[in-house]
Amino acid sequence: MSQSAAHNLEPRGGPGRRTVELPASLPLAPAPPRHAGSAVVHAHHGEIVQGVFYSADGTLEHGLVTLPCPLFSARARFHARPTGPLAVEPSDRGRALKAARMTLDALGRTGWGGSLRMEGNVPLRWGCGSSTTDVLAAIFAVCDAFGTQLPREWIARISVAAESASDSLMYGPERAILFAQRLGTVLMDLGAPLPPVRVLGFNTEADRGVETLALPPCQYSPWEAEAFRPILGLLRHAVERQNPVLLGRVATASTLIMQRHRPKRGMADLLRLASECGALGVQVAHSGTVVGFLFHPGARSEADVGRARAGLHRLGMDRTWDFSTDSAPHPAGLP
Amino acid sequence: MSTAVIHANIVDAIALPRIVWLRPNLIGLAFTLMKLLPARHIVRKAGESGELRPGGLIAETTSGTFGLALAMVARLQGHPLFLVSDPAIDAPLKRRLEDLGATVHIVDKAGASGGYQQARLEVLERVLRENPGSFCPRQYTNPHNPESYAPCAEQLSHAAGAVDCLIGSVGSGGSVCGISSYLRLLGPELEVVGVDTHRSVLFGQSDAGSGRLLRGLGNSLMPANVDHTAFDQVHWVGAAEAFRATRELHRGHSLFMGPTSGAAYLVADWWARRNPDRLGAVILPDEGYRYLDTVYDDAWLEAQGARLDVLPREPVEWDHPHDGTDPWAFYQWGRRTHAGVMGGAARLQGVPS
Repeated sequence: MSQSAAHNLEPRGGPGRRTVELPASLPLAPAPPRHAGSAVVHAHHGEIVQGVFYSADGTLEHGLVTLPCPLFSARARFHARPTGPLAVEPSDRGRALKAARMTLDALGRTGWGGSLRMEGNVPLRWGCGSSTTDVLAAIFAVCDAFGTQLPREWIARISVAAESASDSLMYGPERAILFAQRLGTVLMDLGAPLPPVRVLGFNTEADRGVETLALPPCQYSPWEAEAFRPILGLLRHAVERQNPVLLGRVATASTLIMQRHRPKRGMADLLRLASECGALGVQVAHSGTVVGFLFHPGARSEADVGRARAGLHRLGMDRTWDFSTDSAPHPAGLP
Repeated sequence: MSTAVIHANIVDAIALPRIVWLRPNLIGLAFTLMKLLPARHIVRKAGESGELRPGGLIAETTSGTFGLALAMVARLQGHPLFLVSDPAIDAPLKRRLEDLGATVHIVDKAGASGGYQQARLEVLERVLRENPGSFCPRQYTNPHNPESYAPCAEQLSHAAGAVDCLIGSVGSGGSVCGISSYLRLLGPELEVVGVDTHRSVLFGQSDAGSGRLLRGLGNSLMPANVDHTAFDQVHWVGAAEAFRATRELHRGHSLFMGPTSGAAYLVADWWARRNPDRLGAVILPDEGYRYLDTVYDDAWLEAQGARLDVLPREPVEWDHPHDGTDPWAFYQWGRRTHAGVMGGAARLQGVPS
């Protein structure tokens, strides 16, 4: 399954489904309502950038652009029943349950119940979007059970309401989105995917993570708040020209600003190592513990990635993983 | 793809530069009136902090383009403006400032010490004292000045990606230090070339002797906003060379700019010829209209002894900043502090070898 298909978040979506064009003269019969649905949502590997950005009306909003990661995903299966309770397994996935309830309401199925089963391998508290992947998978699985879809703006609102902060995962990797995570709105559609990069990932806190939703928003200095303008300018250039080198610079700039607010241990050593190994930049989960060295995509960076992995080992980072944003996950890369 | 936007006002519409190719490896940032960026941002920030209340008086000492930019911003936002200037202010600018509603106060005699600059500051402080709630932008020390250039860095980064070198004239330190601080966040290896003029104190010359004919860059006082550690290389450009380069910019590129732009262009063109494989961007701060009767008038150039028929191709390299009125010279500043360059050299001279 190609990476873009794996990231296709539309219910019942399959490879190439979006490109099939039906003759206009053939009206589509509505799909019969089903009582079971499922969905898979891939996680992200933290952000390329997170900061504050000027919205169309000139106000500063917190926003981010996530880095898609095909290594981690959440799956939801939903069986709908016209009456009765709505339950989730494992029972601690309250946000997914809340999202499923809100989705039923949004679909006009108020009062329906059913069972929601969540599974997946998205690490908790690493900043890879574990909450959002669960919530989105639940929303899509419920929609799938009724053979329908919700507009993305609705999905964003449900997602924000279910977990108080969200990210742009629902838009998939086909388009880079500057997303206001606290509002659940799109600040800017960058019009194309992020340029492809190869990511060597690791966790700076092997045994721990951070509780993302408990973190207060960063208080940026006036200089920093303005600095996100040129960062966004360079990101737009990198996306328009599909330039991974400049994407690396954008990521490092955002990492450097975040380091002043939520420092990650040993970042000076990590930045030096990345530079010595020919990495294009260093991205972080701004509200988490994963870090990624960015490289040119594909085999051309094989030697650089190898040297970086050895260097990380010397710095005590024994577990690393490696993926390219434009290809299917490498089985050996699974953490 | 073109964008069609209706701006809130003319300041928002023209604050950012046009970006044009001057050579295959040199980009020009051609501003209508560059000082609109700091004027708009400083006034906005003062309003947000409560330092400037709606309708509050703005007062500043300036006889240059910052005054004009302030007058435009103040007019649009309903602030009265008091500008202190000296007799050197040109009459058309004064008329324009007054048409925008500004009060232009000309100090008629120089202070006992510190010349007109000191006399102007004394008037300014008195006006601020006598008008509680009034606000002074202080472009030379206000950190919102360099910060105000972030939208320009954004535009340049979006349009060009990464540039290898930024070249610009230095007066308050706002534009070059501001833009380069942001570009270096995105690429610390950015080379920064500052353009100064002889008898300016910014990079180690003294301002003794007769005044500077080339205005709009350089300074008699050291602005706190000049971050000397931003600069890899510093040039001193004379009036005649800058005026000639201003005319070349017009004749060669149809770019009708002022002499500050000419000085920067002279250096940028040289840099671009020396670095054919690297990409440079040069700041061109204002348009030529104010200089039609001076820089664009051959008779005036002749009368000033500032007419140059052929532009020098190369500057001379100095091994240390020193006083002198010509020729075009440069020095490898090396991102050092002012004391690091001036004091360090003095210490070196005292060390027996």
